[in-house]
Formats: sequence, structure tokens, C-alpha cells
Amino acid sequence: MTIAPSSRVALFVTCLVDAMRPRVGFAALRALADAGCEVVVPEAQTCCGQPALNSGDRATATDFARRNVAMLESYEAIVVPSGSCAGTIRCHYPELLADDPQWAARAEAVAAKTWEILAWLDARGWRPEGVALEARATYHDSCSGLRELGIKAQPRRLLGAVDGLDLVPLAGEETCCGFGGTFCVKYPAISNAIADEKAAAVEATGAGLLLAGDLGCLMNMAGKLHRRGSDVRAFHTIEVLAGMADGPAIGEAQ
Amino acid sequence: MSARDAILARLGPVRDPAVLAAEAAALLAGEERERPAGGEDLVARFLAQLGQPSVAATHARIGSLAELPGAVSGYLAAEGAEPALWLPPDARVAGLDWSGLTRLADCPIDDGAVLAFARAGVAETGSLVFETSPEAPMLPNFLALRHIVVLEVAGLVRWLEDAAPGGAVPRAHYWVTGVSGTTDIEGTYVRGAHGPRFLHVVLVG
Amino acid sequence: MSRAFDARVDAALADRQLKIAVERTAGTAEAKRGVAIGAWPSFGAARERAAAIKDHVIANLGAYLVQFEAAATASGATVHWAQTADEACSIVVEICRKAGAKSVARSKSMLGEEIGLPHALEAAGIGRVETDLAEHIIQLAGERPSHIIWPAMHKTREQVSELFHARHREPHVEESIVAMAASARRQLRGEMLGADVGISGANFLIADSGQVCTVTNEGNAELSLVPPRVHIVTAGIEKLVPSMDHAVHLLRLLARSATGAALTQYTTFYAGPKRAGDHDGPEEMHIVLVDNGRSAMRDDGLAEMLRCIRCGACMNHCVVFRQIGGHAYGGTYPGPMGSVLTPALDGLAANRDLPNACTMNGKCQEVCPVAIPLPTLLRGWREKSWREGLEPVTLRSGLGLWAWAARRPWLYRAGVRWAIRAMRLAGRGWIAKLPFAGGWTGGRDFPAPAAESFMDRYRKGER
Repeated sequence: MTIAPSSRVALFVTCLVDAMRPRVGFAALRALADAGCEVVVPEAQTCCGQPALNSGDRATATDFARRNVAMLESYEAIVVPSGSCAGTIRCHYPELLADDPQWAARAEAVAAKTWEILAWLDARGWRPEGVALEARATYHDSCSGLRELGIKAQPRRLLGAVDGLDLVPLAGEETCCGFGGTFCVKYPAISNAIADEKAAAVEATGAGLLLAGDLGCLMNMAGKLHRRGSDVRAFHTIEVLAGMADGPAIGEAQ
Repeated sequence: MSARDAILARLGPVRDPAVLAAEAAALLAGEERERPAGGEDLVARFLAQLGQPSVAATHARIGSLAELPGAVSGYLAAEGAEPALWLPPDARVAGLDWSGLTRLADCPIDDGAVLAFARAGVAETGSLVFETSPEAPMLPNFLALRHIVVLEVAGLVRWLEDAAPGGAVPRAHYWVTGVSGTTDIEGTYVRGAHGPRFLHVVLVG
Repeated sequence: MSRAFDARVDAALADRQLKIAVERTAGTAEAKRGVAIGAWPSFGAARERAAAIKDHVIANLGAYLVQFEAAATASGATVHWAQTADEACSIVVEICRKAGAKSVARSKSMLGEEIGLPHALEAAGIGRVETDLAEHIIQLAGERPSHIIWPAMHKTREQVSELFHARHREPHVEESIVAMAASARRQLRGEMLGADVGISGANFLIADSGQVCTVTNEGNAELSLVPPRVHIVTAGIEKLVPSMDHAVHLLRLLARSATGAALTQYTTFYAGPKRAGDHDGPEEMHIVLVDNGRSAMRDDGLAEMLRCIRCGACMNHCVVFRQIGGHAYGGTYPGPMGSVLTPALDGLAANRDLPNACTMNGKCQEVCPVAIPLPTLLRGWREKSWREGLEPVTLRSGLGLWAWAARRPWLYRAGVRWAIRAMRLAGRGWIAKLPFAGGWTGGRDFPAPAAESFMDRYRKGER
């Protein structure tokens, strides 16, 4: 990567983080500032359009793609605390706009400079400094980040620099948790069964913390764990890296 | 319009077969580099494959065909099986001394032992290669409980690509890679589902 | 969600026995495949090449069909063409009638299942003996296959034992799986050898030689196709490959992807009927080339689906299949590949749940030996469903409202404020019961949002 140290990046905070857990957004700001970035939060942002894309409403998804491309294209980079949203912008916007001569190149350009936040920080060589967390944690690889963006080693490298944090492997760490965006509301019974297996695997690690890079997955897994009476607490990885894991975990009053 | 005409019309114009053949061949260029590891020594690799759980073949090695009847008798005795077997109408059988064994007139429908000559063996997978011919009926190789296969070491090739016979296409060309097996009931492996339960390879040379 | 799909899913999820069976079959297959592929460093390159080979054949399907027909005919086989499932069944029944067949021996063929051949034979009064052990079990049970490689995976040993005790001439005495398999071996042997006609599918059709390739592990195929007077092959037109060497490349991928083995036990290439001097073999060989929507799939954006070599890896690794098993899908083919094929074969309106009941996690594409972009094809069905107005009104209006608001940031922000307030009425931390979200809170707790959204707090100067 050849981005200068003091880069001007846009934070695309994602609709889930915005509405459900702003702490993730503030953790992102803190980490990005620590990494020497000047961060701008574009005012007009709402959603990447994934719900429309996955529901088959291609027209709406394409409309969102155009809006977001226009909103983001003036920044040197766009950083996103979600593998699925970053994946939508990076992988799906170019595909949605491929046949539109006015937008195809612009979509490609924005896609090329959109990064999931953990991949971004790792690629810049940033590591959390002076961040300590005495805990045993386990990591779930969210599907879009893993398979669309190749996010696997980066979060583990970053977490490796957190003093006192013991990362133990999760059996079936690459197995889908059953969230699937609209899937969990359309087919709740199947989603529930998948989440049960994932929760059992998390409990079996003996870890006290569950970490991942996508809030939807985390809400799903944490909600299932809590319903099962588990003590496991869940955070978004960026919260840990920003030294904010001393606050309320997902589901605890914020 | 016949179904043939309708289907072909739907599929569109047919390109020059020579061009297609060249394209098809080009699609295999460099394919050898992608094959799973083939092992060094042909015999060692072949025997290692015979020992794989899904193949589960036993083997013996003899210096020449003259020792074959003895090797077969020995195998059947060690297995506690009847000293009887069915032999194919192959010229190589005629010259050997089968007096220690009962030669079955008809191939047994289920029980019993059957001998066959494999034209080749594939080290990559532990496969035995056969073709049908007047000297090589096909059915006995699937009916027998015990399948005893004779293979010359010189007939070993490394890769499946080398298994097919040159020249005219035979009526049936088939590879036997181990004993018949199934996991259809509760995923439990059972040998001898319909085909042979035992496969014994006699390597000659 | 359609009532029918709903009901099948609920039944499947409630079936403890099914879950055990699925884990035992698909879970084991996943583990074994993992070992085999882990030991094959060039798997990625090999599957890209396999995809290219199949794409080339599908793009030139007419030419390869013609080439195959000529070569197969030259070897003495008779080649038939069928546009539809009904046509294919009629051809098969007619051949059986001409042969005076009272019974046919069938080796496993998903294509035969797809075109409804068992039913057609029955309707024509022709006895049918399923010789593959799993197909035999489901024939006795009167059921359809629940997996493309292990059709009877949903049956317990007790259920199989009961069937065999009731229907075999000489059933097993000992209650063991070995004894049951031996009972089936006894029961089916005579029937295989005594059948007038043997019917098989084909794993590959070799264009340059006219050979038909079958891949099995029991030996039942050879025992049902060699003794009878007539051998009939029913094969989808997409099964073509240019040559034996192309077939070998795909065979290496097929067995490892399905069961983790280097190769299945029996790989047989047939070229025409018995020849002068042969001791065994059929007097007649017929090959029925079946379209049944494949040429349409090719033209309608599903060309990549035609690469499929029927290995079953996608379903073995699918989190949805692992919970609901094969019958819940309601069609011939289950799992991810079934979710793409069934709307094409049986219509989208009746099957729109299949492409929707998917988390889009992408594991299926990752394990597919011919790199089929299954999530993309499933999304394609969702798009078609949306365009045709098949999606439920509640979803369309809900999404429409959300999208309308999300295009107007100030309105969206107001909507988010309102939603936050509404959710926090139900609780400030973990919420056990959230109105209108029973699907979620039925099985898991819901984490309440913070009092204000990120964008509102950021605008107020929080950092």
C-alpha cells in the first residue's frame, strides 16, 4: 500500500453500528487517529444497500451504489468496520454498475480504495500500543470478510499485540453463524438452529470473550449465548484494539 | 422437428471440430503440474495405494508366472477358503500347473474366487486396468467374493492418463480401485456390497 | 416462506434422528474431503482448469453432442434425444416394451430421478429393481433420495432393518449393518442377473470416443448393466467432456470432493454393445441424451451451473443443509446446487424459498470442484423473483419504505431515532422479547441499542 501517513480517510460507519452500537464507530475513530489518519465522517451516509442487494431488489441496490460512490469518491480511502459492508462496496458495487458507462469506472475506483478496518490497519503496519486486556478470547471469522475480502490473519495479528490477551481457536471458526442479514428474519428457525451450534462451539473453547469483525454476526452469536445462559461476552474487534473493551459488552446497557 | 433438431437448433451453430479439438487440447496444457503427488517408485506407490482403507487390497509378489498357481493356493489357504477358483479363457492360464486347485467350470454367482489378468496398474490410485475381450469376460470380476488379479510389474503406469489402451476403443474399459464397499447404512463402511469383498493382487516380476 | 417449505423445514428441525444422520454423513464427508484436499496443493489450479473445461464444452455443446453421437453410433450404440422429462421416459419405456422387458435393473442415477423414471416405469407396468443399496432402501420405503451421493442417509439402521425383515426373502438374522448389507446382496443378486434391461445414468460422456463413464463403489452398476440384453443410459446433455484425458482431470476432483478418496472403486467406460467373441455384455445399448431445461439454463444465465459434476460437496458444507437435510428442499436435488437447479427445473414461483433460504456465506463456492459461483446464481434467482413480483408484499413494502427513507439522510436519521426509542421501550440491555421481532427473540436475546445513534453523537461533537 502506498498511502501517505497522514491520509484523509472516510469512515463508513454502517447502518448497524450507527443504530445499534455507536461504540464501534468511536473505537474506529480512535484507532484510525492513533494510526495517523485524518478521519472524516461523511454526513450523508446511511446504508451500503446490502438489504436490497440480498433481497433481489437490484434496482434499489444499484441506486444505493451510485449514491455511495458519489459520496465517497473524493476521499483517499474509505474504511468500514464491517466485512459484509466493505465487501458490498468493494465486490458488488462494480458488478452492479458494470454496464453503466457513466458509473462503472467510478465504482471501480471507489471499490479499489475501500477497506475493511482491520485489514486497513494491519496493512499500514499499525499495532495497538499500550493496550492491555487480561482475558481469554476466541475469534469468529465472519463469512463475507473471510471469503470476499480475505480477512483471516489480520485480526489475529492485531490482537496479538494486545497485552495479556490469550486468543484460543474456535472449532469451526469459518462456519457461518446463521445471521446472513435478511436470512435471520426470513428463516428464523433455521437461523436459530445454526446459531445454537455456533454458540455451543464458542462455549466449548472456555473463552470469556467472543470477538469478530461484523456487528450482525456478533449480535446474533451474543444473543444466542446469553439466551443459553452463557457468561461469554462479545465485542467488536476494533473496540478491543482501541482499548475500549473495558466498557459494556454487546447486550449490556451502553 | 425431431427432438434432436430442436435441441441442436437451440444450442446454436457448430464450430469447426478441428478448432474445437485444438481448444480442448490447449485446456489440458500444463495439467501434469497440478496432479496430486504421484510418489517416486512406481511399485512402492502402487502398493501403498493398495493398502489405503478405501482400497483394502492385499498383495503378493512372485518372480514369474510359473509361480502363480502356488501363490493362489497359498493365498486361499491362508484365508481359510476353498482351494477352488474360476479361471478366464486366457492363453497364459493354459501353460500353468493348476493341479493343486479345483478349476470351476462356471464362474460362481456369489461365493468363490475368480482370477483375472489386469492389463495395467496405476500407481497414482492403486487401480487395476481391464478391457473386455474374448479372453477377458467382465462379469466374473464383479461376481466373485474373492477377486485375485495378476499384474506384471512392467504393466504399471504412474498416472490414470496412461491407463487407457491405445488403438481401437474396447467395448468396456474399466478400473478397479479396491474392494466393493458402501457407507449407505448410517455411514458405516461395509465391504462387499455387491462386488468382491476381497481383492488380492499378485504382482509378477 | 411458502407453507409447504415452512412445514418441511419445521419437521426437519424437529427430527433429532435426522440431525444425527446428517452429521454422520455430511460431517464425515466434510472431514474426509478436508484431508484429501489438504494433501493436494494444486487443488485451486486444478479446479480452475476443470471449470474452464466444462465452460468450453457448454459453450460448444451442440458440436460435442454431434461428435459424441457419431462416435457412440459407430461403436454400435443407438443414440436418442429427448427435450423433456416426459419424452425421455417415453423413449425408455418404449425400448423396454420392444425388448419385452418384465423387469429392469437400475443403478443409481439422479437424472433418472429428475425425469421421474421410477414413476414412468411403474405406470407402464414394468418391474423395477433398484440395485444401489441406498436406492434399494428408499424404494422399499417409498421415499425420494435425500442426498445425491447417499440417498438413504436419513434412514436409521433400525428403519433399514425393519424394511429388510419385511421385504427380503432371506433377511439378516444378526442385527448388524454387515448382516443387513449381506441380506441386500443376497436379495438383489438374482434380480440383477435376471433383469431383461439394465438402466444407468452417466457421470461423463466422452465425446471423441462415444464412451459412457459410470463411477460407483458397490459394483452394482456393472452387475446390472452387463448381464441384461439391453443397456439403457439416460444422461443430461451437460455430461459431455471432450476426451478421456479431460474426464480423468475431472475424476480426480470428483472422488476427493465427494468422499475424500483418490478414486471410487469402479470406474467403467462403456462403448456400445457386446462384440463378436465377447462372453458377456448387452446385445443392445441405447443412450438417451436428455435436455430437460439444460439448453434453456445455458441461455438464461445459468451456464455455470451446468459445470456441476454432482459431487455433493456443496451440500455437505452448507450450514442450512446441515440443519434441514435433503427432503426439506422438496425437489430432486438438495443443498446449494439443488437451490439453483430446482427453480429452473420445477419453476421459480413454487420454489422461491430455496434461493432465499441461504445465508450467502460462500462456503459452497469455496469447496465446489468446478468453482461454480453458487451465491451469485442464487442471488440471480432472488433478482428474478423480485422482478416477477414473487416476493411477499410485506417484504417489498418494508424494503421499499426503508429504501425510500435511506435515500433521504435527514429522514433516515429521524427514523433511526424513532426506532431506537421504540426498541429501548422493551429494555436497555438484553431484551428477551421484542415486538415484531419474534423470529429473533423466539430463540435468542436482542441487544438494546444505545440511547443515541453514532451519527447524532458524532454531530454533537463526541469523539
